[in-house]
Amino acid sequence: MGKRYAMVIDLRRCVGCHACQVACKSENNVPLGVFRTWVEELETGKFPNVSRHRLPRLCNHCENPSCLNVCPVKATYQLEDGTVLVDYDRCIGCKYCIAACPYDARFINPERNTAEKCTYCHERVDAGLQPACVNTCITGARVFGDLNDPTSEVAKLVATNAITVSKPETNNRPQTYYIKADEKALRPNLLEIVTGGEK
Amino acid sequence: MNTVHFFNTQHEIYWGLPIALYFYYTGMSAGSFILTSLGTVFGIEKYKKVAKVGVIMAIVLLAFAPLHLLFDLAQPGRFLNLFTTVNPTSAMSWGVYLLILYPVDLIIYSWYLFRQDMVNGLTKGGFKASFYNFLLFGKKDVSKQALDNDKRKQKLFGSFGVPLALLVHGYTGFILGNVQARAIWHTPLMPIIFLMSAMVSGTGLFIIVLMLVEKFKFGRLNDDIKALISDIANLMKWFILVDGILMIIYFIVLWYSNEAGYASGYFLLHNEFWSFVGLENGLGMLVPFILMLSKKARQSMPIVVLASILTIIGVLAMRINLVIGGQKLPLTGSKIMEYVASGRDITVILGLAVAAVIVLTFLYSVLPMNRPGVQEKETIPVSKGVAQ
Repeated sequence: MGKRYAMVIDLRRCVGCHACQVACKSENNVPLGVFRTWVEELETGKFPNVSRHRLPRLCNHCENPSCLNVCPVKATYQLEDGTVLVDYDRCIGCKYCIAACPYDARFINPERNTAEKCTYCHERVDAGLQPACVNTCITGARVFGDLNDPTSEVAKLVATNAITVSKPETNNRPQTYYIKADEKALRPNLLEIVTGGEK
Repeated sequence: MNTVHFFNTQHEIYWGLPIALYFYYTGMSAGSFILTSLGTVFGIEKYKKVAKVGVIMAIVLLAFAPLHLLFDLAQPGRFLNLFTTVNPTSAMSWGVYLLILYPVDLIIYSWYLFRQDMVNGLTKGGFKASFYNFLLFGKKDVSKQALDNDKRKQKLFGSFGVPLALLVHGYTGFILGNVQARAIWHTPLMPIIFLMSAMVSGTGLFIIVLMLVEKFKFGRLNDDIKALISDIANLMKWFILVDGILMIIYFIVLWYSNEAGYASGYFLLHNEFWSFVGLENGLGMLVPFILMLSKKARQSMPIVVLASILTIIGVLAMRINLVIGGQKLPLTGSKIMEYVASGRDITVILGLAVAAVIVLTFLYSVLPMNRPGVQEKETIPVSKGVAQ
């Protein structure tokens, strides 16, 4: 079996320092105003019964990526190891992939004028390094590796913990696994948003 | 339970007005063509006389529709990639080929439709004659045999045109319908709703264009055309009814689907009340439907014009509500997304609309719009008549 890269984000460890977000920006030269990875922070409940949650987000490098399916020029492609990449020389910037991604993972790079998203720091991984966000994570909350290798840390974490993914119902089969993520963070509470919190 | 995001990144609505307008234009193109093919393809005699008006409108609207997409691309110079790649899983990729086949078919069809009158027009001299001479490519035979061949070819290419028109607009429904991330879009009804609303707006615009063409080319609306417009208005009533029923079915199922679907329905009904209920379905569908119920109203040209304008506005609102409204509900975070049309987008839309009107005016004024029994008025130069 070939490699299948995946990421596990252990929210028991995440402290919300946003270092991953900064490292990604710096490693990948991501322009101002757009992000390949970001950390959502939210608060739920009413005082005194409240809790705070964090949810680092990035491209899920789905097994059945909507973005890849809808691209009219096949600029989005998937490597054998599962990494979903964009061919910046092919992309025409029609933004269909951005509209189709359920995770807001994509954006138009205002300098390059093409669609862009997390690449799992493909060039670093190729060189045997960890993605920048994983490398920089101060608590080791982000773990990256080969899901098909039972001895890898991601495979062990996925096998031995209760895990969730964001929006499993979409048939994208996302490959970013969260440990102890809050359901309220994994998807927007649309009903609360449209009713203004009345219902 | 209150959830408050105190840190999140901003996301944008990337598909704005140009995309909505693209759907709008292709819809009206398909609608006007299917309506006027009733004569040449389905053999309903009375529609034959408006086939020319309809096909020119269909061609010009379809020529301008994809320009909205071109201007919306972040890398417009690379649009050729669309032609060199096929991605069978992408509805947008299907559309590339339909957007070529459909207008090419229509142009051939219209050539056979206009050929005889262009040959007759050669004797008049001047710019028109040389223009016709160019367009005829030397095929100036007007023997009975040649004219019968014209008729057969009209029927042949018209018959290709009907399914192509259905596909060229139906596929745009798949562009939205295939996106499972957004509940407002993700419904199998989407292609059919798009087609029916295309029939509504195509008919609405066609009535107005037909009136203008008749007025400027023949001086006035004769009773024959008035009767036909009443018939078309009657058809429009049925199109609105079917479109309305589809919208109701769509909305009911949305209401009873998952939470995202219910929230989308709630969003359309409350947050977007004025544009969804008021403009799209009230003013744009219900009012023209009620107006067109009465036979008297259908025979009164001002009321038919009013109803047509309302349907055109209503379907525009529908395209905007679906394309932009569908992206207003966030996929992450906890805020409804705001859409602000950029100055560039508005310039592109207005520029293309003006250009489309100019091209339409040019074609209607130079091409022979004669129909059996009625000749263009000769006393006033047509170009002057249009300029007024």
